[in-house]
Amino acid sequence: MSSKKNFSLIIKDLIFTGLIATVLLIPIVGFRTEISTVDSSGLTFNYNFITAFFVVAFVVGVRFLFHIYWFSKIQKKPQENSEKNKKKFLKKLNFYLGAAAAVIAFTLPFMPFANRYIVDVATLVLTYVMLGWGLNIVVGLAGLLDLGYVAFFAVGAYSYALLATTFDLSFWICLPLAGILAAFTGILLGFPVLRLRGDYLAIVTLGFGEIIRLILLNWYEFTGGPDGISRIPRPSFFGFPFARKSEDTTFHELFGLEYSTMHRIIFLYYLILILALITNFFTMKIRNLPVGRAWEALREDETACRAIGINPTNTKLTAFAIGAMFGGFAGSFFATRQGFVSPESFTFIESAIILAIVVLGGMGSQIGVVIASILLIGSTELFRELEQFRMLAFGLAMIIIMIVKPRGLLANREPSILLNKKNE
Amino acid sequence: MEYFLQQLINSLTLGSIYGLIAIGYTMVYGIIGMINFAHGDVFMIGSFVSLIAMVLLGVGTGAFLPLALLVVLLAAILVTSVYGWTLERVAYRPLRGSFRLAALITALGASIFLQNFVQVSQGAKIKPIQPVIQGGFTFFENGSMVVSFSYLQIFIIIITIILLSIFSYIISKTPLGRSQRACEQDLTMSKLLGINVDRTISVTFIIGASLASVAGMMFVLYYGVIDFFIGFLTGIKAFTAAVLGGIGSIPGAVIGGLLIGLIETFWSAYFTIEYKDVAVFGILVIVLIFRPYGILGKPEVEKV
Amino acid sequence: MSNILEINHLTMKFGGLIAIDDVSFSVKKNSITSLIGPNGAGKTTVFNCITGFYKPTVGEILLNAKKQFNLERMNDFTIPQKAKVARTFQNIRLFPQMTVLENLIVAQHNKLMKASMYTLKGLVNAKSFLNAENEAKELAKYWLDKIKLTDRADIEAGNLPYGQQRKVEICRSMCTDPILLCLDEPAAGLNATESLELNSLLEFIKNEHKISILLIEHDMSVVMGISDKVVVLDYGKKIAEGMPSEVKGNPEVIKAYLGEE
Repeated sequence: MSSKKNFSLIIKDLIFTGLIATVLLIPIVGFRTEISTVDSSGLTFNYNFITAFFVVAFVVGVRFLFHIYWFSKIQKKPQENSEKNKKKFLKKLNFYLGAAAAVIAFTLPFMPFANRYIVDVATLVLTYVMLGWGLNIVVGLAGLLDLGYVAFFAVGAYSYALLATTFDLSFWICLPLAGILAAFTGILLGFPVLRLRGDYLAIVTLGFGEIIRLILLNWYEFTGGPDGISRIPRPSFFGFPFARKSEDTTFHELFGLEYSTMHRIIFLYYLILILALITNFFTMKIRNLPVGRAWEALREDETACRAIGINPTNTKLTAFAIGAMFGGFAGSFFATRQGFVSPESFTFIESAIILAIVVLGGMGSQIGVVIASILLIGSTELFRELEQFRMLAFGLAMIIIMIVKPRGLLANREPSILLNKKNE
Repeated sequence: MEYFLQQLINSLTLGSIYGLIAIGYTMVYGIIGMINFAHGDVFMIGSFVSLIAMVLLGVGTGAFLPLALLVVLLAAILVTSVYGWTLERVAYRPLRGSFRLAALITALGASIFLQNFVQVSQGAKIKPIQPVIQGGFTFFENGSMVVSFSYLQIFIIIITIILLSIFSYIISKTPLGRSQRACEQDLTMSKLLGINVDRTISVTFIIGASLASVAGMMFVLYYGVIDFFIGFLTGIKAFTAAVLGGIGSIPGAVIGGLLIGLIETFWSAYFTIEYKDVAVFGILVIVLIFRPYGILGKPEVEKV
Repeated sequence: MSNILEINHLTMKFGGLIAIDDVSFSVKKNSITSLIGPNGAGKTTVFNCITGFYKPTVGEILLNAKKQFNLERMNDFTIPQKAKVARTFQNIRLFPQMTVLENLIVAQHNKLMKASMYTLKGLVNAKSFLNAENEAKELAKYWLDKIKLTDRADIEAGNLPYGQQRKVEICRSMCTDPILLCLDEPAAGLNATESLELNSLLEFIKNEHKISILLIEHDMSVVMGISDKVVVLDYGKKIAEGMPSEVKGNPEVIKAYLGEE
């Protein structure tokens, strides 16, 4: 008897879903506006009702799958000890994924399939990984909602560009300087706003990110405006340039190799790999130190922190500045790899992507950031033609993952200090 | 003097648009304490639906203009409300108990999704439309300096005033409005008193989306060109307006909208137009630093 | 016997509402003083003024330690840091996702920051820092032993039962090396056995560690059992002050709690 009622309820729900989907999709998908070929100042329609219909059917189908899923969940019995086992599993998973990723990362350029394109994509992924690990200090550890992280990336990149082109300093000098400038920017921006809570902090940092981008875009005399800064010197192998011929000994001459453009590409790859790993090791180390623990405590309950004598402003500023510094380092790398910088690389959507990488990968999971980067950035590159769909899927993925696993895919928190020995 | 008056008129118009959108932000923040990041994109959807309806009805060719515009308005409100409702139902309701960051990410995801949904469906190019409402009053013809108050501007301002009056009435005099205010003050208690909280929240989103869709239609008529990205910038400015006026306060949202309209218009007129957005972002930052509860808000004392 | 805490003419107004009206009392050194009164009397407001979470409208709060501190002028986080006044909260505020041990270690933050030379020594694993960290662990272990939770040190604090969380919160406050401990309803939600354990813990803190305690409480078995002095508030005003036995029979106090005949 009850299954009949259930069945009719499900049908009603599916019809309702279909109606909603129709209202949503028919206007926007069905009536595609195009600039008229006849009258260039008017619009005509390109009717896409078939497509719209299929999307509606797809939505209803997904809804139907939901019903099946819920139905099957009722049948299953709750598992005992699932919480503890889940934790153990996650911990093991994190470890093995980390080990595997490390091995792959170090050997990638020497794999048989590794051509220039693959190494380039991997370099891009690693840049985002470093940015994700840097932002993780601010968002993951200290719990500060930062929607303007790209600003520090930009400061680092532009600082490097200006220092390198104006003062002709080497990469190894410009890199730390750019990081310091980015950290300084972090302190400057952070100081007035870090006492704001949650959402407000997010919006303010978004505002800062946009202000910086607009300044870079419009201050032509200093930043080159929309043209940016170009002819940034390429990196050398500790003084040995990656060139076919040069006054100094070139890299390939030094090692007795045939000249190849791949040398510089591979060098850049390992450079970002090392920089990212430094970020990672720093994070893991600082978690075990008082300041890292204070960050995590601040994230959990700021009022309680005040009650035990922790200065929240200083503590937050430290997180913000250090996160900014790593963003600046990544920016320097970006500038030297590309050879030029322009404001269009530093839009809000980049901040959103980096934040998504941190949150989707899982709060507290370093390897989660790697996985998320590979999925988000790697898949972008491989499906370049479907660029628009990439962002569509990206937005959808953010919603779905948050609903299913609000803490992120691989979220797992290991205590930073133990009293009793572990009984493994 | 004439220049000043013209800028004033322009600000009022722009401010009305921002105010309508700002109300949506402020209502949602008031009732569930989250920033509906995707609200700007709901406004953008409203503008696209208006555009499509106008092209469909052949609006602008003179025939039955007021009636046609009314149909467009109703269509926009209807479709956009469904978007608002669906947004809350699909992306926000499942996360209602969850922590801040999750709600923020899902809102960001919804925003990105909506932008790209429109980009994929409608193409990335801008969509221009012929001016629909033309003509207006002109005053002070002082050589080349003319102050005009176009019919369109009057139309926008009047519609805004009408909507606000209807809306204030609903909020203060009807049971729906009462439930709304109760939920804003104490969600749990409202639930215990038998108020259908889910429905109240849905209605909040629907009202916000409707007002945003009206703003969307105004935007199409006023600027004559839209694209899938207008939601981002306009949304942030409208949010700034809501914050400036006092988040959670509806009159505040309107006042904030007018002020932002004034600031943006006068900055472009008397300083530089490139940095007008910086001016608005700057206001956002300054307000949040020095007076986060805005003009009409009260400072919150945190109970320990 | 001198007073460790002196509250003089404390008044707190929120807009038009007067939460505390000209309240004055003192806490003697090495004693336990209880602050009682019906709900809404202003007890937690007094606490918040003492610990810097509210700025009083009028009044003076003096802490007499090696030097004198004007608590009404200090920030909420400087008071535990410099004046060594610790507090707990009515709704327990532990760090739920951190382990019990981590909660106790984080309370020793300022000490450890100095020992690690603001992290620099920590980054290089300097011997002096590692020693300081071990000492911190020892202190945490000491208190965990006292509340018999040593074997639960590595469990997430949020997963402990309520009564144990209360005890951990008190120990966390002790890890900040306070000279005055302010406890907001420490016995709330505890059963009779747990209340007795709480009493012995507080007496241990007072007698062995020579720490003064000020507590807000509704549980009369705790108040009457261990207090050296009781202060009664009602509608923001002080209506009685004295030894527990004196206060118990005070007609004003009885009227405040039970109403008039």
